[in-house]
Amino acid sequence: MRFRLCIDAAPRLRQHIADGRTTITTPTQPEDTPSHWATYGRGLIDAAKLPGWMVVASMTGFGALVNSADMSMTVAVVATIFIWGLPGQVAFVEFFLLGTPVFSLLLVSSLANIRFLPMSLSLVPLFRGSKIGWRFRYLWTFMMSVNTWVGLLRKVPDLTQEQRWSYYFGYSTVCMGAGAIASAIGYILADTLPFPVTITLVLLNPVYFAFVFAATRSRAAALALIAGAVTGPPLYLLTPEWSLPICGIIAGTAGFYADRWLNRRAA
Amino acid sequence: MIGDWANAQTWSPLVLAFMAAAATYLWRAIGTTIAAKIDPDSDLFQWIACVAYGLFAGLIARIIVFPVGVLEQSAMIDRLGAMVIGFIIFFLTRRNIFAATFSAAGAFLLVTWLRAGGVL
Repeated sequence: MRFRLCIDAAPRLRQHIADGRTTITTPTQPEDTPSHWATYGRGLIDAAKLPGWMVVASMTGFGALVNSADMSMTVAVVATIFIWGLPGQVAFVEFFLLGTPVFSLLLVSSLANIRFLPMSLSLVPLFRGSKIGWRFRYLWTFMMSVNTWVGLLRKVPDLTQEQRWSYYFGYSTVCMGAGAIASAIGYILADTLPFPVTITLVLLNPVYFAFVFAATRSRAAALALIAGAVTGPPLYLLTPEWSLPICGIIAGTAGFYADRWLNRRAA
Repeated sequence: MIGDWANAQTWSPLVLAFMAAAATYLWRAIGTTIAAKIDPDSDLFQWIACVAYGLFAGLIARIIVFPVGVLEQSAMIDRLGAMVIGFIIFFLTRRNIFAATFSAAGAFLLVTWLRAGGVL
């Protein structure tokens, strides 16, 4: 993969002076793989395909929801960019309408996005091989959504360690920009969108992610997904606030060990 | 009893949005800080990824089975039916995310439209 990329770029010879000797390298060597702008651009292009449009659809639905709650358009855009996780954003609007205490509102909208903790844990180590990538790790997790997380994880085998951050940065720029614009558009269109369209836009997000995850090639992840789908709803009935973290730990552990058990049996 | 100041509706929604954002960023920041100590090739790393996947599946299933807000106004059978159609297309098209998503959403849109028009 790396080799194929190099053919796209015009071959350049570079002189390196090290240890008092001059060496000439060609772009087939890892340090000369395409520039950060090139991988940034690839991130932009990949995100502008299906993922970006899914963000547009779901954030349009969110904008319409904010409008129906009589909040301002600024709130819609701010919530999208800074909370940047739809379940928490939706919980924010709905608990506001319920008139709950501020503490409950913050707790629920934050817990609805607790997935960002395990997601950061599995995203950040990927940037360790790059100086710039590592320096800006708190920015990368700020820009992280399910889309950008999956987008990078899928692409990791095709990227060098140094290319990861620029690809991810490009990918996230499109997703965040599209999300911000779409929530404003959704807010403006709220009164003109027919009800079936609004409700379908709200459903689109979970449906899309169900298939994004179902497409995983890892057996451990697939087993964790099945366990999570089965345990999620009953746990919600037991404890609405804490169901997600509990479900994640139970289902994740079940998937992880079931996969190892199957491996051992096959061996 | 709680004082009036504690009711979220007495606060500015914009201020609350920033507070909710800070409360959400906490998870990202904690993860980023701890991640410095995790080896991407370790079992622990794999287990954490599994937890993330389990959490997503639980969240999606919860939204479909027990939705809050706008989705509450749709019938459970419509939501489940849309997912089933999506998964059938997903496996028929050899895991095409695009085809699956649009057939599920299309089926749901159609059936909600028919219900809104009084056909169903």
